Amino acid sequence: MSISIPENKKISPFLVFFVVQKMQFGIGILGFQRIIAKNAGHDAWISIILVGIGVHIVLWALFKMLETVNGDMISIHTFVFGKIVSKIFGIFFILYYLLLTVTVIRTYVEIIQVWMFTDLATFWFSLVLLSVVVYIIFGGFRTVTGMAFFGIVLPFYVFALFLFTLPYAEFNNLLPILDHSISDILLGSKNMSLTVLGFESLLIFYPFIKDPKKSKKWAHLAVFSTTMICLYLAILTFAYFPENQLQKNIWPTLTMWKIIMMPFVERFEYIGIANWCLIILPNASIALWCSSRIVKRLFSIKQRTTVPILAIICLIATSFLFTRKQVNLLSDMVGQVGFYLNFIYFPLLLVATLIAKKVKKNEVGS
Amino acid sequence: MKLVHKIIILTSIAFLLNGCVKKEILDDINLIEAIGFDYAGEGMTSGTILYPIYQPDQPPENKTLTAKALIKKSILQDIQLQSANPIVTGSMEAVLFAKELASKDGVLELIDAFQRDPGVGSGLYLAVVDGEARELMEGNYGVRGNATFISNLLENNIDNEDLPKTNLQKFLFSYYQEGQTPFMPQLKKISDEKIELNGICFFKHGKVVETINPDQMFFFRLLVDKYSNGLHRVQTKDGEAAIRSIRSTHNFDLSQHSPLEITVKIKVQGIVNEYTGNEVRPDQIKLLEKAFTEEIKEQSTKLVEIFKEKQIDPVGFGHFVKTRTRNYDLSKWLESDLQNLTVKVVPHVMITEAGVIE
Repeated sequence: MSISIPENKKISPFLVFFVVQKMQFGIGILGFQRIIAKNAGHDAWISIILVGIGVHIVLWALFKMLETVNGDMISIHTFVFGKIVSKIFGIFFILYYLLLTVTVIRTYVEIIQVWMFTDLATFWFSLVLLSVVVYIIFGGFRTVTGMAFFGIVLPFYVFALFLFTLPYAEFNNLLPILDHSISDILLGSKNMSLTVLGFESLLIFYPFIKDPKKSKKWAHLAVFSTTMICLYLAILTFAYFPENQLQKNIWPTLTMWKIIMMPFVERFEYIGIANWCLIILPNASIALWCSSRIVKRLFSIKQRTTVPILAIICLIATSFLFTRKQVNLLSDMVGQVGFYLNFIYFPLLLVATLIAKKVKKNEVGS
Repeated sequence: MKLVHKIIILTSIAFLLNGCVKKEILDDINLIEAIGFDYAGEGMTSGTILYPIYQPDQPPENKTLTAKALIKKSILQDIQLQSANPIVTGSMEAVLFAKELASKDGVLELIDAFQRDPGVGSGLYLAVVDGEARELMEGNYGVRGNATFISNLLENNIDNEDLPKTNLQKFLFSYYQEGQTPFMPQLKKISDEKIELNGICFFKHGKVVETINPDQMFFFRLLVDKYSNGLHRVQTKDGEAAIRSIRSTHNFDLSQHSPLEITVKIKVQGIVNEYTGNEVRPDQIKLLEKAFTEEIKEQSTKLVEIFKEKQIDPVGFGHFVKTRTRNYDLSKWLESDLQNLTVKVVPHVMITEAGVIE
């Protein structure tokens, strides 16, 4: 059942931190504050903490399943449901990761179009981005991980820049705490899911980890750091915007940068958005890599052949999304699917795995 | 693939991508630095843009273009008809509204455009013009261009004098905040080379409903800004002193729920800049402190009375009450709850230094 990956293609356990965090942290961070505040208002920071706790639990469940079968997602499904059903699930996951790639790239292109160049053609820019992505994946999983590393380390300074909003921050906005009902806060948590989504890619790259037991703490640390960053941003945002103004801004994170004025650069968002390219590039790479990896596992087709094909599919899909409404619909859909997948399906899958394990043991025993 | 091939492909991609977006060369665009709006009769608005023309070894020449329009957003397009180069909003510093326009039509529709435009920063200054915006913009102030002059004038008054913090973000913040109404500074053209900051305008539903004079600005700032500074003259029986407040803080406290009562504690730390009496003795300082305390109390209470009468809340008392009360309903704040609110101002003045002369 276990898949053998050559030692020289595996990654060190601590690098899991970067892959997991990178996958969670991408395009959602630019606009999550508005979406979570829709229901929970200024209490939405509680929703973030709740989601953070939830993600830790799901992550624990993922590790538990992976340890049980010592393989990846396909092995789990084969173990529980058998070969044919696992293929169907596999195809679903291929689509899911393709959709994730499309969302990331299309949203990023949209931001460039709205904030910087109105006349930028979606097709050409996506083509360039996707070619880079394909090039990265050709380097193998280790290169993808390397990109994830740089995608976190290089643009990390941007977080300090949000402190420029402090002179305008009104932390009173957060009071009174728990002014919204529990169900509103839980709805906020649900809306938060697109932002923290992506850690489930662990299910696919697990066999690539050297000494996977040691990687556990790094994965949990990654999830924790994402929660903290979201919390930091959300609190600054809620202090900076009154609730009604927040609801008017599609990308509050970027709007906050509009207050920054430096003698040498008039509008900081331009630098910030350009930098964001570094943040989303590994994101798209990991998603597309996951997709092609599942294809390989299911149909034993070389990744070198599948990656360009999948990239072309993404390119076509990206070019067919024109308006804000369509992009919004797509990200909403991915968010929904991701939510049910992560917080409903995976815990159920864990239960199924444990039952299957018990049944199989009994069979061997008797 | 050979390295040469790779290089050829990469270079050709670079050339291909070059033509992807519109270029904007600084010499071939009109960078608007300020824009002003005037009332132009029933439903019409006229807009004036100000852009500098840079010349070697000379101060920038201030150029203005004006157009009238019915739909406010189309003003820029109409101005475009007179302009040889495309108009770009990227480095705008100030937006001015004529008082007539701001009181009759309101400013909300106009401000929406700036809030929407990703190229416009949130640090943009908004101001009401006592008189005509166009006239003010056609003057010639300072060597760095009119727009820079206006924004420096406001910035200086915020940093060192009595003007409360204000810009586009501050305006939007108080506009969107429930239980708070916005305000803007008011400018007036005195002569062709001079502008004066001559008060603060308060808005309700986007329209100016009340203006206070510069003397009251000091007290308004004490109420609205967490940290403030400024200069104020205090009169005692022995003489007059100019007291510069170095660091003033305020603290709100919801001291009573029904009926609502807010206690505002104001702490002023100041130095004596000027004194017309004979000597600044400790007992004189005591007297000054007392006089100043009395004046802050009296003036602030007066301001609150004005707010109540005009049904505005630029300080944000309503928002404050909401943050201290669970499930507070602000929908009738300005009409009824604000009227029943008691605001108790408790100032505490401390004069620490009296300059280098004893």
